[in-house]
Amino acid sequence: MGKGRGTSKFSLLAIILLFCLYPLFSNFYWTDVAFFFGVYALLGLSLNIVLGETGLFDLGHAAFYAIGAYITAILNTLYGIPIIWLIPLSAIGAGLFAYIVTSPIIHLRGDYLCVVTIGIGEIVRLALINNPFGLTGGPNGITGVGRPSLGPFLIDSPTRFYFYVWGILVIVIICLIRLQRSRIGRAWNYLREDDIAAETSGIDVRHFKLLAFVMGAALAGVAGNIYASKLMIVSPDTFTFMESSMLFCIVMLGGLGSIPGSILGAGIITVFPEIFRIVANYRMLFFGGALVLTMIFRPGGIWPRKREALRLQVSNIDDVKGKVRGKLKAIDKSQNMKKTTSKNNSNEPNTIGNHILTTDKLTMTFGGLVAVNEFDLAVSQGKITSIIGPNGAGKTTVFNVVTGIYKPVSGRVYFEGNDITGLKPHKIAELGLARTFQNIRLFPNLTCIENVMAGLHHRMNSYVLSSIVRTESQRAEEKWALEIAMHWLEKTGLGDVHDELAKNLPYGKQKLLELARALSSSPRLLILDEPSSGLNDKETEELMVFLESLLEEQNLTILLIEHDMNVVMGISHWVVVMDMGMKIAEGTPKEIYNHPKVIEAYLGREE
Amino acid sequence: MSELLVLENVVVTYGAVQALKDVSLKLYEGQIVAVLGANGAGKSTMLKSISKIVPLQSGKIYYKGKDLSLVPAHELASLGISHVPEGRRVFSTLTVEENLNLGAYGGRERLSQKEVEAEKQWIFELFPVLLERKNQLAGTLSGGEQQMLALGRGLISKPTLLLLDEPSLGLAPILVKEIFNAIRKIHEERGVSILLVEQNAKKALAEAHYAYILETGKISIEGPSSQLANDDRVKAAYLGGSALEKKFENK
Amino acid sequence: MIILEQLLNGLTIGSFYALIALGYSMVYGVMKLINFAHGDLFALGSYLGYSLLIWGAGAASQRFGLWGGMIAALLFSFFAVGCAGVLMERVAYRPVQKSGRLPLVVSALGVSIFLQNSIMAIWGPRYQAYPASVVPTHAIHLGWLHVTIMQLFILILSFMLMLTLYYIVQKTTFGAAIRATALDREMATILGVDVRKITLFIFFLGPALGGVAGVMNGMYYRQISFVMGWNYGLKAFTATILGGIGNIPAAMLGGLLLGIVEMFGAAYISSAWKDVFTFLILIIILIFRPTGLIGEKVAEKV
Repeated sequence: MGKGRGTSKFSLLAIILLFCLYPLFSNFYWTDVAFFFGVYALLGLSLNIVLGETGLFDLGHAAFYAIGAYITAILNTLYGIPIIWLIPLSAIGAGLFAYIVTSPIIHLRGDYLCVVTIGIGEIVRLALINNPFGLTGGPNGITGVGRPSLGPFLIDSPTRFYFYVWGILVIVIICLIRLQRSRIGRAWNYLREDDIAAETSGIDVRHFKLLAFVMGAALAGVAGNIYASKLMIVSPDTFTFMESSMLFCIVMLGGLGSIPGSILGAGIITVFPEIFRIVANYRMLFFGGALVLTMIFRPGGIWPRKREALRLQVSNIDDVKGKVRGKLKAIDKSQNMKKTTSKNNSNEPNTIGNHILTTDKLTMTFGGLVAVNEFDLAVSQGKITSIIGPNGAGKTTVFNVVTGIYKPVSGRVYFEGNDITGLKPHKIAELGLARTFQNIRLFPNLTCIENVMAGLHHRMNSYVLSSIVRTESQRAEEKWALEIAMHWLEKTGLGDVHDELAKNLPYGKQKLLELARALSSSPRLLILDEPSSGLNDKETEELMVFLESLLEEQNLTILLIEHDMNVVMGISHWVVVMDMGMKIAEGTPKEIYNHPKVIEAYLGREE
Repeated sequence: MSELLVLENVVVTYGAVQALKDVSLKLYEGQIVAVLGANGAGKSTMLKSISKIVPLQSGKIYYKGKDLSLVPAHELASLGISHVPEGRRVFSTLTVEENLNLGAYGGRERLSQKEVEAEKQWIFELFPVLLERKNQLAGTLSGGEQQMLALGRGLISKPTLLLLDEPSLGLAPILVKEIFNAIRKIHEERGVSILLVEQNAKKALAEAHYAYILETGKISIEGPSSQLANDDRVKAAYLGGSALEKKFENK
Repeated sequence: MIILEQLLNGLTIGSFYALIALGYSMVYGVMKLINFAHGDLFALGSYLGYSLLIWGAGAASQRFGLWGGMIAALLFSFFAVGCAGVLMERVAYRPVQKSGRLPLVVSALGVSIFLQNSIMAIWGPRYQAYPASVVPTHAIHLGWLHVTIMQLFILILSFMLMLTLYYIVQKTTFGAAIRATALDREMATILGVDVRKITLFIFFLGPALGGVAGVMNGMYYRQISFVMGWNYGLKAFTATILGGIGNIPAAMLGGLLLGIVEMFGAAYISSAWKDVFTFLILIIILIFRPTGLIGEKVAEKV
């Protein structure tokens, strides 16, 4: 490993040297090409935050670029504010603009969001042409933008501009890499992979989507500033839909969420047409064809992101494993303490006093269909409660209402005595309620340990700045999260595959991983939707043992939907039977097994 | 009686899950065969593998002696195989009549317009409510009415073999009765062979000649339905009796 | 009367939008893809019609007469652009389809860039003009109402095309099969619908209608340019969303409505800001009624 690091360090050094010496061997023309390469790399990286990291279809990104360029041009030409000072102002302005325009549309998904961003892009361009308040100079734009200067050092020649943009780029890249490998970057990735799983794991999806837009826009604003000062003119015809499409292609060509990929994509977009200058009229034609071919043969991009093994902060994972084993005992001890206090609770499952979750006349309808009808549920603390019933009885809908994915038409949900009806899923998760899904919802392109860390997100505090600076507390927090996540991977028997992508695991292990993610948030109530489906007999058996052990060790309560009656009858303390949205019976497994209504619901009635 | 449908050692996998493990089954012409089992046992997958919605990992399926692996999915309808899938799947923004007409789409070469009209009339007699609602959008029908429409759509092409997936799912008892009466009529009046997947074991066993019980992708029990109707193992397969017994024995 | 004339002008532009919007909507229906290359197919149609009309110093018009020449150009464009559409699906979309939505979008953008630049490479970067001799230029007066023959021709032909398509899609069993495929591919296959055939039909007819719109657009404005595809494509696409994407009557309605809104917006609000209003309407509709004006609500299952 040390050797690999050495060669990669060496090649990095070689690349830096190459970039430094490049202007010496090149003429002004090619130095300018390299400058624009840098600008597009910035733009590509900025869109990569939105599209690549977070998976938001943004086909109007040129609007943010335009805002940055115009803020620079207007404030510089009207008030003579130095270009350098305008860098932060352009970033803030573009970020603020993004916040205002994307707030009302952030809930839109996929194609709808794509269409709205196209609309925003066009509105901005048209507004610039129409010269509102005489500020933007109309179709001709604004001329006479000044040059940036660093102190007395004026940046005017192509070579200086080259170093200027690549200097900024290096800083940006370092910041982005740090961000990518922090709580923030992971949160973005979680919601790109599966926003419902992210939300129910405790991630405020809306917040992090907006953050991605704001940060992407701010970075595009910086690119706009640099662009304006280089050309000394800004005009609306730079910021077309075509430009936004190009940025989109940069990210897709490079690979979603890949920093080197976005830079490479920018290189292709800027350098490719220059190489084909000989065939002037045909160069874009070739480019269009090349885009199609790339998507046919490399749909994931040319340089897709390889997930890091999260060793950056922790030099030796075995070291952590050792520590965790030590800690494990400590955790168990403290849990045992808690358990003894809860032991005193009555053994009667349906006594009122110790219900961790109750629903009161819960009703949910879809269109005209009543999926859940005045459903009352009481889940006893420290017990395993199962909901069973035929297909379409409304069991999963109950789970979705309880965890906040659906808002009930009427009725209330109480968790530990608090009314949680209508709270957002991430709030409910924060309160100590974790769940799994019927058809596994993992983050398929993230590693196992990253998947598990999703459950810890809401218990961490570090934000953008502390992640970029890597403050002491941020590093401590990352380490803490890594240890807890590792602990749960070990517990579920996935310790050896912590760096494997979730999608590469066999089905049974994926189910366990989802369970580990839910457990990592230290929930007090664990909701499992068909935990045994798709598992073989042996795996099912192991799962049953594991669930029962959790009850003891973690002071946990479990609510589950299960179709495998062997599991239900084997481990439940209390069984609730649903049919056609209503509770038709409840009782101990033995009572349920012989209950005539249950037999009828399952086997049907004989005439 | 000749074999209409034969499944030989069929294996189907979804990703890493084996949904069907080495399933073999036979259906003779004119029979109703029931496939029973708890949720997730692989019943629907079996029907989907016959109508080629899901690919086979291994094994063979023969229809009238013809290997179905050589037939494209959209040509099965013209061979007389009709699948009424789980969840009805009516085309919600098409009218009831358009849905029915589409049912005849695959059989348009072997059926005359007149025959289709006659079948439509028969379906309207079978389910008079469909006639009442013939110009309504299918999405506005109730669950039971949608099930009738799905059945009607599957029948209008005069199929030889009907693959029927959970026709009683989510229906009120009175409607379940009506649907099963219709199934009996379809079999008696049209002589359609039916492969019936059902959760409602008692109802299904009352109609079927022969039955298979699927448990986690494997056929665990098979036999004439009159025999299975009194078999305690059937109840155990649904309600997991074995685990319960084990547990109580342990205590 | 001015209002009536503006309505007519709006309807004329609206019918271009509607014809293009149909292609967007049909393709979206069967492939769930916003076909960004569709606007450029419209431009291609415009250029093909132009080439046919100026070929041999207007040989087509001399041989078949003014109207004969026009019909020939329209037919030529219809078939040629339709074939281009089928080719596009085969080469650029079908191989990418399995890789997911995003690569498909990029592939569509790639085709768009390719087409736009092919047009530029073949016909040159400058504006081209349909010669006055190949299209009727006179107008008729109905009382105070002033209508050009060309306008009438465009309105009649567009409405005939839309009615035909409406009939095919809404009234025939084949049309029901198209709609069924858009709703549930798998179920349509079970019923015996050959989804590949439907896809080919859609990718022929959608672009073909766009091609016809392109020729009519050239005849109406006379001036055409290789970048016209972006602009019309974007507008027509807005119209598609306005009506409700994937729904064919909705696309027609959206197109006509957009044309009228634009005309009146330009006349009574501000011609410079009219497009801004268009896009604002688009965004507002998507926020409050993402299914468009007459699109159906589709429940999202978790």
